[in-house]
Amino acid sequence: MKKMIISGLIVLIAAPFSFSQELTGEDIIQKVNDLMNVQTAYGKAKMTIVTTSGQKRTFIYESWSKNKGEKNLVRYLEPSRVKDQAVLMLNNADDIWMYFPRTQRVRKLATHAKKQKMQGSDFSYEDMGSGDAFITDYTPERLKDEKMEGYDCYQIELTRKPESDMSYSRLIMWVIKENFVPVVIDYYHEDDPSLQEKRLIQSDIRIIDDLPTAMKVVMLNKNDNTQTEMELLEVKYNLTLDDSLFTERSLKK
Amino acid sequence: MKRWTSILVSLFLCSSLLIAQDKLEIFGYFESQMMGAEVKNEFLQLYSNKLRVDLKSSLSKNITFAANFDYITYHGKTEWNILDFLAPKVVSEVSEGMEAFYALPFSNRTFLDNAYIKIAFKPFDLIVGKQQISLGTGYVWNPADVFNVKDYLDPTYEQPGHNAIRLDVPLGTSYTLTALFSPDENWGDSAKMIQFKGRISRFDFSFIAIEKAWRFHDYTQFDTESMNFLELPEKRQLLGFSTAGELLGLGVWAEYAYNKMERTKDFYELVLGADYTFDFQTYLMVEYYQNTLGKTHHEDYTLNDWMRLMAMEQKAISRDQVYVFIQHPVTDLLNAAISSIYNISDNSFALIPTLNYSLSDNVDIFAYLNLNFGAEGKAFAKNLGNGGLIRVRVYF
Repeated sequence: MKKMIISGLIVLIAAPFSFSQELTGEDIIQKVNDLMNVQTAYGKAKMTIVTTSGQKRTFIYESWSKNKGEKNLVRYLEPSRVKDQAVLMLNNADDIWMYFPRTQRVRKLATHAKKQKMQGSDFSYEDMGSGDAFITDYTPERLKDEKMEGYDCYQIELTRKPESDMSYSRLIMWVIKENFVPVVIDYYHEDDPSLQEKRLIQSDIRIIDDLPTAMKVVMLNKNDNTQTEMELLEVKYNLTLDDSLFTERSLKK
Repeated sequence: MKRWTSILVSLFLCSSLLIAQDKLEIFGYFESQMMGAEVKNEFLQLYSNKLRVDLKSSLSKNITFAANFDYITYHGKTEWNILDFLAPKVVSEVSEGMEAFYALPFSNRTFLDNAYIKIAFKPFDLIVGKQQISLGTGYVWNPADVFNVKDYLDPTYEQPGHNAIRLDVPLGTSYTLTALFSPDENWGDSAKMIQFKGRISRFDFSFIAIEKAWRFHDYTQFDTESMNFLELPEKRQLLGFSTAGELLGLGVWAEYAYNKMERTKDFYELVLGADYTFDFQTYLMVEYYQNTLGKTHHEDYTLNDWMRLMAMEQKAISRDQVYVFIQHPVTDLLNAAISSIYNISDNSFALIPTLNYSLSDNVDIFAYLNLNFGAEGKAFAKNLGNGGLIRVRVYF
């Protein structure tokens, strides 16, 4: 989930899979999860928030990830208001540090901060940095195959495990049979599994460095009637990234 | 004036050179602010305009130059007498005819706030020049930070730059050793700091030792030689510890500093804090601060206590206080918050309702009210001036 959104990197290897009907929900979600996890990645993305009043707020940021998304660094480039602000997430975003350039102060955030909206967008830090949550925090069940956004898709329901502290009680995911890209994900309320809160739609899937990559991600917030769009401006996979990039020192650039 | 002219000319020449090299970033902000307070049944206003221009340039892969200069103008009530806010008992300590010396003027200012060169190689970072020094994990109070005192009304506002040489040596990816030297008139008076910072499990921690000349003043005596209040300098040696992490789902932090004073009584400061974000996006923070330099009874507050507090020579007038902050995103552009500071020692408190609105990508509006509810003579006495502030900031 992390690379899918933070880096805007929906990363899926176009490998020859068997699309047989025998695949279970576990098989499909495992493939989605495995294929999303690239060893290292760099992305530059534009995030546009459309507010309830129709106003827009635009951010441009760079991000780096390593160890299949276990380490992440995000640095804002625009607008000037947040220029050089940076977020470091380690251990699948269980450890978060934020850097504020005007005071040169680094603040450590606890995991509850993952519930906060990222720069007022429809993405929470949890949406951005939940790592292997599809596998570790949810139980998958395959539903009836459906056509979604023009693609033949597997439909998977993910139900939150009792011990999980994720903010969504369940997810419904439509996974493109051809390449295992989760083209649509519906998020349901923490306490009411019948109440849909958000919908994520991925589009403009291109092959970058031999990997299918969704260049555009839109999160629709059903409660607030707002939406946030992320557009990948640049992406690179499997680069050499030193561990020193993912430290407090690097936050301060 | 001549000094500032030469600074501006130097910055201009430097900028021109860097622009010519196409490596210079120029950014900053302009803010217009109105403050008001009720003083002796009259609502007084102070307006200010601030232009901050930042320059940043990567001269090479390893060398960065950064600077900012500020130009601030003040309008309206530009001279406030501190005695107007204090209880008659405290004011009675002022010698007759000396009242004018307690006036606090707001004069137009132009100054180089930060200007430094950062040299970064794999084994170390070296920063030389005027720079921000941010120490400790506390939100409102930082016992380990002898360089800055935050304003509890606006604790995240930027701090002034300090002239210093700072060396950061990373020890692996989890530990850093920092040495800092901030020069004064001589070696003995200069500030020296060493800090070891690291991470164990889910907790960040740091140990810190600082030696600095501390300049208390006696605000009841005037030094005709310096034309200022009598300075009482002494050496301050600080040993501190701070940590931040997570416990039972709460964000938690602590900061402690023991201050060994050369002449006056030793004291310590302690901060304990916790925060949490609820599922409905409301954020709650609580921070407790103890300072044994502060008094435990408001009857004991003296003119010197008040003046040292306002001159930021000490961080609190009383021993124990609690800060509570609740924030909620009302819309995707508007955040509403209320903070309250309760003085446990004298049973007074202040409420600070706050609004923060994003007018556009690079325009913010920030406003707060400052409402004091304490009896006369207490830390948050009503006569300290209930009022507020509204600030519009445009980033470029």
